[in-house]
Amino acid sequence: MSSNPGHEGALPHEEHGSHEDAGISRFFFGRVPAGVHGGLKQYGILAIFLAIITLIEFLIIVPEGLQGSSIVIAPLVILSVIKFFCVVAFFMHLKFENELLWQIFVAGLVLGLVVALALVLLFGVFRPTPRAFSEPRAMPFEHHAAEEEHHYEALVVPTPCPVGACPQPAAPGANPGAAASPGQALFVGAAACSSCHTISGVAQGVLGPPLDGIGSAAANRIPGQSAEDYIRESILEPDVYAAGTADGLSQDYDGNLMLSTMAGILPSLSDEDIDNLVDYLLSLQ
Amino acid sequence: MAHVDTTHAPAEHEPAAHPPAHEEETTTGISHRKLLMWVFLGSDCLFFGSLIATYMVYRGQSIVGPYPIDIIDVPVTTISTFVLLMSSFTMVMAVAAARNGNQRRLIQWLVCTIILGGGFIGFQVYEFNLFRVEGLRYETNLFSSTFFTLTGFHGAHVTLGIFWLICLAVISARNPAGRPSGEDVDIAGLYWHFVDIVWIVIFTLLYLIGGFDSGPDAGHAAAQGWQWITGIFT
Ligand code: HEC
Repeated sequence: MSSNPGHEGALPHEEHGSHEDAGISRFFFGRVPAGVHGGLKQYGILAIFLAIITLIEFLIIVPEGLQGSSIVIAPLVILSVIKFFCVVAFFMHLKFENELLWQIFVAGLVLGLVVALALVLLFGVFRPTPRAFSEPRAMPFEHHAAEEEHHYEALVVPTPCPVGACPQPAAPGANPGAAASPGQALFVGAAACSSCHTISGVAQGVLGPPLDGIGSAAANRIPGQSAEDYIRESILEPDVYAAGTADGLSQDYDGNLMLSTMAGILPSLSDEDIDNLVDYLLSLQ
Repeated sequence: MAHVDTTHAPAEHEPAAHPPAHEEETTTGISHRKLLMWVFLGSDCLFFGSLIATYMVYRGQSIVGPYPIDIIDVPVTTISTFVLLMSSFTMVMAVAAARNGNQRRLIQWLVCTIILGGGFIGFQVYEFNLFRVEGLRYETNLFSSTFFTLTGFHGAHVTLGIFWLICLAVISARNPAGRPSGEDVDIAGLYWHFVDIVWIVIFTLLYLIGGFDSGPDAGHAAAQGWQWITGIFT
């Protein structure tokens, strides 16, 4: 056995006559009978070829202008597809196998691609629209420095938010730690109102109507109801009246949306908390 | 193993008493175990397909950093990609050695593969730890969750593969007379190469293309690049 000088794959095996050396060009390009395998030569060449492709891929994105640009996508994808199928065809010797195996593998591969494509299209990855949600909320990242302050926000995974389930990081410039009033602190904090409502400089939520100026607007929502009562009712029983275009808002809102979320939050708020919230919203003139 | 051929003297328990590891006869001409492996690999495509798609769906949607550009290290990962690629080469050489019944070479190539695979995992551990230190935990943002899920599962595949190869190496070291058979090594090789091709895809999408994503506007580039394709359908 030790007499075998390192290119064992290229030598026919004593027992299995079918393991012949296919020759380099026939191995890669020719039609070879099933059961043929390569040896050090063939696999070595392929390994070098794959390494070179990897190197080219890397070199493509070395120029700073090309990093993350869309023109490199096509070449990179093509190169890696080549790598992919080289490994499948030769390292996994699918080229020399029963066709059935090809079919099985390609079936799985195609299904996987279809699933991926379906998901990607479903979520509109190729359309910029869904990013309208995250874009205005992005917070710049500074290495290490801000780690401490970001800790709370860091625990939150906000997009696309399951209804109200996640509090938003406060708007840039706002500092929840030094809220102007206990009501505001609740709004952005424990009561999680900020996950759905926008108040300039305090919170950015999109699921509910913006609450800037709600203190005065509230008086006009339901005839005969004072601003305070309306706000209190909006918090305790949001489904009673759903604000919408009739109130000069940009869209009709769904009262049940807030109701279902508040069902989980309300029990944890004391009467005093509610009063503080109402006071705070009333102060937004 | 349990079925000892009773027509022979039961005293002979040496491995050679096993039927030679010949391909079994099947209606398709493909050994069942190999078929099973390919079916598994086909379905594993779906598994990784969905994880990769999930990453792409949430690409550029994180609203807190670190974003990919803040921490993804493309040069280092290019090296680890190279390492994994080379492990595919040593693996295929191990398969060739096993097929030719060259036990000694088989063990050598297996050990090379194990070392290279371990090297790849080493890179990954290094990378994950660096991310942790930089403040990127599993639950930090959408990027981190999808990234760690995808690359974590891939790393788990590699780790499993390493254990498998260690088993093969140990078996062949202790039992030079015919086990593992060429097919045993072959099937492990298929799994190993599959893990490699999954990484080829991950490396391209998450590192070369997605590694420079900054905040939420990342992915716009992709959107532009693909606009002409979607334009055909709409
Ligand atoms: C799940 C998202 C969600 C959360 C969380 C939420 N709201 Fe709302 N809110 C809505 C929606 C949707 C509406 C519009 C429908 C309606 O008026 O009932 C609304 C309406 C309101 C209104 C009436 C606005 C108007 O223009 O008439 C007020 C006041 C209000 N919310 C206060 C709060 C407060 C205070 C909290 C925190 C305790 C809170 N909301 C939490 C979704 C939410």
